[in-house]
Amino acid sequence: MTDRILTVRMEAHPTDSHTMARYEATGGYAALRKALAMKPEDIVAEVKASNLRGRGGAGFPTGVKWGFLAPTRPRYLVINADESEPGTFKDRQLLERDPHQLLEGIIISSFAIDAHHAFVFVRGEYPRSARRLQQAVEEARAAGYLGRGILGTGFDLDVTVHLGAGAYICGEETAALNSLEGRRGEPRIKPPFPAVAGLYAKPTIVNNVETIANIPWIVMNGGAAYNAIGPEGSRGTRLLSLSGHVANPGNYEIVMGMSWRDLIFGIGGGIPNGKALKCWIPGGASAPWFTPDLLDTPVTLDDIAKNGSMAGSGAVVVMDETTNVVAAAWSIVRFFSHESCGQCTPCREGTTWLQRILERILAGQGRPSDVDLLLDVCDNISPGLRWPPAQTTICPLGPSAVSPITSIMKHFRDEVVAMIPGAVTAGV
Amino acid sequence: MTWPDTTLARARDIIARYPEPRSAVMPLLYVAMRHDGRLTDEGMRQVAALTGMTAVQVESVASFYSMYKRHVGSHVVSVCTSISCHLLGGRDVLAAVSDATGVPAGETSADGSVTIESVECIGACGGAPAVQVDYELIEGVTPDKGAELCRWLMTAHPEVVHGDDLQTRFGGRRSFPAGPPDPVGAMGPYPAFGPLGTTGGEA
Amino acid sequence: MSDPIKLTVDGREVTAPGGQLLIKAAEEHGTYIPRFCWHPRMKPVGMCRMCLVEVEGPRGKVLVTSCTTPVAEGMVVHTKSDVVKKAQEGVLEFLLVNHPLDCPVCDKGGECPLQDQTLSHGPGESRFVEEKRHFEKPIAISELVMLDRERCILCARCTRFSDEISGDPLIEFIDRGNHTQINTFPDEPFASYFSGNTVQICPVGALTATPYRFRARPWDLEAVESTCPQCSVGCRVSVQASQNQVLRLIGVDVDATNQGWLCDKGRFAFEHLRAPARLSTPLVRGADGELHEAGWGEALDLIASRIGAVIAERGPAAVAGLGGARSTNEEAYAFGKLLRGVLGTGNLDASLGDDPGAALLAGVPHRATIDDLERAKTILVWGPDLKEELPVLHLRVRRAATALGADVVVVHPRATGLDRDAAHVVRYRPGEGAATLQRLAAGEGDLAAVRAALDTGPVVAIVGRTGLAESADLADAVAAFALTLADAKVMPVARRGNVLGAIDMGVHPHLLPGRVAASDAAARAALAAAWGCAVAVPGRDTSGILSGMADGSIAAVLLLGCDPVADHPDRKAAAAAFDKAPFLVSLDLFLNESNRTADVVLPVDTFTEVEGTMTNLEGRVQKSNRIVPGVGASRPVVEILEDLAARLGGSIGAGAAAIAKEIALVAPAYAAVSWEALDWGRGRDGIVVAEGPFTHTPERRATDPSVGALTLHLGRVLYDGGTMITAGPSLARLAPEPAAHLHPDDASRLGFAAGDRVTVTGNAGSAAMAVAIDPTLARGTVYLPFNLGASIGNGLEVKVEK
Repeated sequence: MTDRILTVRMEAHPTDSHTMARYEATGGYAALRKALAMKPEDIVAEVKASNLRGRGGAGFPTGVKWGFLAPTRPRYLVINADESEPGTFKDRQLLERDPHQLLEGIIISSFAIDAHHAFVFVRGEYPRSARRLQQAVEEARAAGYLGRGILGTGFDLDVTVHLGAGAYICGEETAALNSLEGRRGEPRIKPPFPAVAGLYAKPTIVNNVETIANIPWIVMNGGAAYNAIGPEGSRGTRLLSLSGHVANPGNYEIVMGMSWRDLIFGIGGGIPNGKALKCWIPGGASAPWFTPDLLDTPVTLDDIAKNGSMAGSGAVVVMDETTNVVAAAWSIVRFFSHESCGQCTPCREGTTWLQRILERILAGQGRPSDVDLLLDVCDNISPGLRWPPAQTTICPLGPSAVSPITSIMKHFRDEVVAMIPGAVTAGV
Repeated sequence: MTWPDTTLARARDIIARYPEPRSAVMPLLYVAMRHDGRLTDEGMRQVAALTGMTAVQVESVASFYSMYKRHVGSHVVSVCTSISCHLLGGRDVLAAVSDATGVPAGETSADGSVTIESVECIGACGGAPAVQVDYELIEGVTPDKGAELCRWLMTAHPEVVHGDDLQTRFGGRRSFPAGPPDPVGAMGPYPAFGPLGTTGGEA
Repeated sequence: MSDPIKLTVDGREVTAPGGQLLIKAAEEHGTYIPRFCWHPRMKPVGMCRMCLVEVEGPRGKVLVTSCTTPVAEGMVVHTKSDVVKKAQEGVLEFLLVNHPLDCPVCDKGGECPLQDQTLSHGPGESRFVEEKRHFEKPIAISELVMLDRERCILCARCTRFSDEISGDPLIEFIDRGNHTQINTFPDEPFASYFSGNTVQICPVGALTATPYRFRARPWDLEAVESTCPQCSVGCRVSVQASQNQVLRLIGVDVDATNQGWLCDKGRFAFEHLRAPARLSTPLVRGADGELHEAGWGEALDLIASRIGAVIAERGPAAVAGLGGARSTNEEAYAFGKLLRGVLGTGNLDASLGDDPGAALLAGVPHRATIDDLERAKTILVWGPDLKEELPVLHLRVRRAATALGADVVVVHPRATGLDRDAAHVVRYRPGEGAATLQRLAAGEGDLAAVRAALDTGPVVAIVGRTGLAESADLADAVAAFALTLADAKVMPVARRGNVLGAIDMGVHPHLLPGRVAASDAAARAALAAAWGCAVAVPGRDTSGILSGMADGSIAAVLLLGCDPVADHPDRKAAAAAFDKAPFLVSLDLFLNESNRTADVVLPVDTFTEVEGTMTNLEGRVQKSNRIVPGVGASRPVVEILEDLAARLGGSIGAGAAAIAKEIALVAPAYAAVSWEALDWGRGRDGIVVAEGPFTHTPERRATDPSVGALTLHLGRVLYDGGTMITAGPSLARLAPEPAAHLHPDDASRLGFAAGDRVTVTGNAGSAAMAVAIDPTLARGTVYLPFNLGASIGNGLEVKVEK
């Protein structure tokens, strides 16, 4: 059984996995040749059959998303390479080390959805990724994989590598579209969804880098083969970014289903310096935190969701017993406050307010009422404080800032209270 | 038009990469920064003229994104303090960098050589704490190495900074094996990317 | 909008048009959902989140913004549930986190949606103990608008207005997140002709207008609805005053005309009402040759005796009247009745030779209404730059182009405000209009696509003078062409506020009240029967009167709110005529270039000071209302004219209300018009009078003169040297300097650079001014804005020399 799809080449060929020569020498662009001989709708069917789910965070089935496209033309494909969720660095590796794999996925996907212009939105802080991808685009154009009449077929495709400029919110698909249109990266109200009215109000598919990097393999091996890998609901492999207080941080391509213990203590090598595990974030800064009581639950999309969090962008951030969880939560809340686009009131005002309350508490100036206040401000951003979250906001960024606060209040309330002069720890 | 013909030609090439001119505003803002060393009113007016926007529409876009900077030195040193770096000492690196340069986060040294900033996640969490110089990445930076990096920037005044070179001299653990060195480096406080004309030091 | 659907709002089943926004559907059924960012005339953005409601869905109730959610069949909505109330309280608390709460010194206090909704939907107290966000406050973002960023709640109404509605996006969001602010570009102020609308729609006191700042508290204001007199669009306004002084105008949202918007000229020109230079007492020229203050009796006696003498010695044909285009219909009617009936002269004209001609204005068949633009597929604009002359009509055309999908074709000698949104732009040199029309009609060469576009109806053709150097025949020819297009209607346009009303009231040598031909003896006889006095036969129009003044055949002239020396396209000829006028009477607000030599100047009450009606360019009659008295001894025009008539042994009617009733009786087209029908609340959209009985068939008789290498484009700008602009402090400083605009090719051919001082010589004089470069100008054209202090005549031939 295949246990790795995306990282095989880069591991086997550490010095040149990013080049056209190596890519072609290791079977590259064979999937494109196969795809161009298929009917576009058959490719979509294979992707549907693969049960490939989006790797950007929401986990939406890719083939189903493609099926939502409005019939009008032109259509666009936008690759979201604005990887900015704290803890996440998997797409950077795919871009720097195997850009042709992504590019082949882009060309096949564009053919499948009848798009003739694809954009890759690479975050501005990843110039090396953009350079590698741009080089791949130029190599592919020279080799006839891009441009007019690709490989002698009637299919034309242009790929534009677009460099962002420092705004996490552009990872939200409609914000990315606004940004590509030369506007502020503010999320749009949905509906309409991009598949109906996206870039320039035309039908548009926005997919994550890792998602599309899987497409050549699916075309080569078939959707059924992909659907045979991993547990139901979490098919295929998954690139996880492991960081924080862990001995072996890094990106790991895994088949889901292993336990958190296997991931953190096996693959991750455990907690350094003999410290104990305090908690971890299972799916990027937006996700509610897990505590060691869940160590033996499986790492799958559905199990993580069942336990009140999300696999998100695949970023696992581990915190050891010495961690000041209020400071850690503050770091995350500050992130979301900094990255709030500012257009909707609860997020713009609420995230900053939360940040400032936490700063007061960290400075020893907390008030006994702050515990309730923190939760109520959170409730005004994400009513009911439930999972998956409700929101008074336009996009999920606001509720993302709520996750660390509800997490520390749920798991470490006494630590929070202890930092506030005059506050009384609630006896249970 | 105040840009030289070669820059204007590059701008038109960039515009041609998009279905609508307005889409080119972001790359053109980098071109404007390359022209002036920082974001200027004149640069934004030029971008407005090229894209059919008003100057304030350009400024509205530019000011939304954190990398278009009106006030910036010859190099921008970005110290990550988001969660993974926070957990592994990013704030200590920031403090050391500020101490070594005498420049608080968010400000520029008196000689204009460096701007120090605390930034949110730069996607190097596996190599935390991480720093970027002109968006060229250095991972596994200790407070001492961060300070040394800044002292070097302020005395050597490098024309071009190469990420791999910086990594070797000032970095430690990386998020993942980086592959072969990248021959290209950055020329100033904006990302080095060929189509923008902002790359320097090709081997 | 599609077929009606049923939905449930707070347990009550209601019906709404499918696709209507929930916030609007709820409001129409009596459920007001609080809001800040939503505005019914702009696209929803769902930003402020105040209008959150719960909608029941397959997975339970979901919070949605009612301003972005269309109603759907079977939708179940909760607008007052605990979750909704908590969300609304939360949003208000968030909005107040950084709001300064300086309500006691805020102009908006008392009429502030943030204040009101905090009271009705907000939390009782704030739990925010941190320092609020601070900005320098307030900052001037233009000559007219101040911005207080601390009060701003970032609803984007102003930025959306400037981008979406007025199309001059000069204010924008700057920075991001909690640092977001509204601002202009550092050296580009918010110099929009429509900036005042952003003040009107700002839901807090963030944007304030300099003419109103700190002048009143809202609860001290009294208001009356009226009609803006500044141009012939006739926007609905709420005139608001305190202590007998007009303090501001607010646009009233009616579908027919302005949809709530005003231009800044219309909004702020009221300052002239209390300008120090406004006349407050009659003036009579003394033996010393100077004007001296006089009593009404003295002044009117003098007029009656001098005009009586002229009539006695030279006959009534030696008397003439000009003006009325800025008056109410009742005033214009009284003026016409005085001249035609009491004085017995047919020399009268409300049109000053700067419009497309009274025949086209009053008699065009298939006249378009402004609201026809909502349905038009193609709009031809061959006339003035609407943004400069009829700004709110410009907004309506722009809306048709940008929001309703109409194709706009603009034909003009230089770029107009509509070009950016136009499907086709045609440039031509003044003097080559007839040839251009010929080529367009034939679809020749590059005009083939334009001609093809005009085949898609319904077509609305907006036709007028592109500039004052061009013959009015061209507009007639364009109208004639437009009427050949499929499903076409024509809208002839002229700028002056009530020019069509004055013509309709018979202030025209060839038209009696109600568009009846004055040459028709039976019609004159019928009118004579109604008036109880003889009705004069047709006499001279404006140019005839001016030449009569110059040659001495006209010996006495009455001016009603009219300044031909400034406004006539051939200012030199007008000035020469006025130099010779033996007896001149002016009813006006100010001393001006024409009445400086008058024998008697009478101060009149005006807009906001008199009650009456006006007729806009569509033939829409609307009511104007009184809210303040005039100044000093000024009097209503109709009363002055009645007193004068009495001294001359006649009568025109006692007061405007009586005259209004008389108009309905004698003017067939106005039979259905009454003040009662037009009064507030019942006739807000006014009454569009029927076409005819006078009709005019436009003709393609225009021919191009032979012209030299350079021809003159004499176009109007919104802020010019007009007295209502220059008398008020706020608008006076906005008038640009005169300049000779040249295409870059012409400038380089002639060896001129921008800023060079040159002498521009036309058919009636020379003036020195700077050169400006305008790449949008047709080659071979000199563009000179009219009425900015430089006068060279209105002939097409023009020279530019160092």
